[in-house]
Amino acid sequence: MNLKQIAEEVTAHVVCDKMNWEEIQIETIFASDLMSDVLMSDRDEMLIITSLSTEQSVRAAGIVGAEAVLIANNKTVSDGMIALAKELEVVLLCTPLPKYETCIKIGTIQAQ
Amino acid sequence: MSTPKPQTSLRVQELIYGLKISEVMTKKVHAVSRRCSMRDVQTIMKSHSITGVPVVDTRRVVGIVSMNDIMNALEQGCMDDSVTKWMVSEVQTLAEEMPLSFAISAFSKFSFRRFPVVNRKNELAGIITSRNINLALIRELSRQLHEMEHQHELPDDKTLYDVVKIYSLHRYDFENGGKASSEIKKFLKERGITGKILRRVAVASYELEINLVAHSIGGILSFDINKERIKISSHDRGPGIENIKQALTEGFSTANEWIRSQGFGAGMGLPNVKRVSDQFAIQSALGMGTMIQSTIYFNPERKNED
Repeated sequence: MNLKQIAEEVTAHVVCDKMNWEEIQIETIFASDLMSDVLMSDRDEMLIITSLSTEQSVRAAGIVGAEAVLIANNKTVSDGMIALAKELEVVLLCTPLPKYETCIKIGTIQAQ
Repeated sequence: MSTPKPQTSLRVQELIYGLKISEVMTKKVHAVSRRCSMRDVQTIMKSHSITGVPVVDTRRVVGIVSMNDIMNALEQGCMDDSVTKWMVSEVQTLAEEMPLSFAISAFSKFSFRRFPVVNRKNELAGIITSRNINLALIRELSRQLHEMEHQHELPDDKTLYDVVKIYSLHRYDFENGGKASSEIKKFLKERGITGKILRRVAVASYELEINLVAHSIGGILSFDINKERIKISSHDRGPGIENIKQALTEGFSTANEWIRSQGFGAGMGLPNVKRVSDQFAIQSALGMGTMIQSTIYFNPERKNED
């Protein structure tokens, strides 16, 4: 599945994009509010789903080389987060859905 | 075989010639007159934690009483004697206009632990000890290094690997925590380091950076990079780790609620650094600080050859 499919499924809006972001293929996803756990992962996580709306969520994504961060629960995204996402070339999306529902919806596309 | 004499760096040489004794010495001197007793000197030494007191007459240095003289007088029960009886009257003084190099030579030539410093009128103006010299050199070198660090940016030349870069981190500054790691990651990526190795370096560096921000009262993170490997060192000024074994146990954490609200403090930081490192070392002392070093080789087969 690609990032655009995901965004549509969870009615997310794009807060910070990058060139051809729609086409980015997402194969691995990590959902957590603990960046420590994200950093422990051994896989190449491509998408991080979190309710932690801080610069460190974007920072951690950049560190593990993730392509995108999806902020759940309609959290406010700060200007600092957007600037950092731009700098680190991380796509930043925001969904009104809670984290659990977000995961279920994405899981359904993945299962197809 | 004798060890070769270490060469003094040009910057240090420049300093010891360039600094005047007056800029290094202690200006507030505790001196006594000829009329004072040995007991008076002892009281001064005790209350000001000093070990040598010059004796002056109309501001000219006429002698010096050291701890040794006090002990001799004490041994013979002569503490009420005038200082003139026990002081050393042939005093080697230094002029305040002299370069610091003169003071350094004087310390190696004579066995004295302090020299009274006089002004042009030959009046007592200060006192110099090796502690003064050490502190002045550290102060000046720190200032110079600080200036150098600010000029020292990561090189643009993509073929250049050898670099040492130092970052300063402050307590609870989560806004800047991670900047250093992002910069280093970019630097390595531009030089062809990718995949798992790059991620390991970034994770080790980032965890250490967050550690400094979340748990220390502030410190530095330094990167020593060459073609073969990266050495990441974290040094902080405290508070120190009480139990290192515990700190390296997954899930153990001393983090407060606020650190947790930032997405950290799950007790995975140090174990994770250790996990991704080829070499890992940690030293800590309560109240003094913590040093952590992580080495990662870019070509994993080479790690045993270092």
